Amino acid sequence: MFALSYCRLLLQGFSRQPVNPVVRVQCTRSLTASQQPTKDDMPIKIENPYKQPPRTCILCKTPVDLKNVQLLSQFISPHTGRIYGRHITGLCGQKQREVTKAIKKARSMGFMSVTLKDPQFIKDPDICGIRHFD
Amino acid sequence: MPRYELCLILKAMQRPEIAAVLRRTVETLFERGAIVRGLENLGERRLPYKISKHDCRHSQGGYFSIDFHSSPNIISGLLEYLERDIDVLRPTVLKKDIEISKTQCCGSSPEKTKQASLH
Repeated sequence: MFALSYCRLLLQGFSRQPVNPVVRVQCTRSLTASQQPTKDDMPIKIENPYKQPPRTCILCKTPVDLKNVQLLSQFISPHTGRIYGRHITGLCGQKQREVTKAIKKARSMGFMSVTLKDPQFIKDPDICGIRHFD
Repeated sequence: MPRYELCLILKAMQRPEIAAVLRRTVETLFERGAIVRGLENLGERRLPYKISKHDCRHSQGGYFSIDFHSSPNIISGLLEYLERDIDVLRPTVLKKDIEISKTQCCGSSPEKTKQASLH
């Protein structure tokens, strides 16, 4: 009997205290007086400042014409007149195909030689950067 | 009507004879219903290789280019006529329609170049 009443007293004592105490956290980060909402802390979206310019080949801007024999002769060998491959010319896919088609057409039309490079174009600046056995 | 370009290589001749050949060619074009846009002289130069035509081996020639609009039906007839002409060494007809490149070349895009040309 005494134990029951003692327990009841204890329970009453405990029930006065709150079961889940409310915790208050002081925000010490913000030094401004005004209360700003947290969404302004997000990073501002801008374009990538370290973006590289897109890689272009040397013939990107110029149209390839089959009557322009001087331009086409820069992509053939001076010794044999053979067309250089993509790994030598450094052109992109579309331009390499255009140049090859133009050279073949010019050859069949009688504008460009097949087995050699026109002597007046041999002194032209080298854009392919190929080293021949001299 | 589609647009064509006739690249003509003529035998190395004197001016009046060249004029006569070109006149003949352009009159043929008119007869077949073509509209000639213009005629360009690309100069008389050495041929890149010797061309044997009409029982003669040529090493010099006059290069000409005729821009014209015509129906596609006349092209084969025109080429046959030019092959028979003894003063013409090599006739070639090319299509000259403006091609809209669907695939962009690396770097430049057609919109950007249009804007550049406007400004």
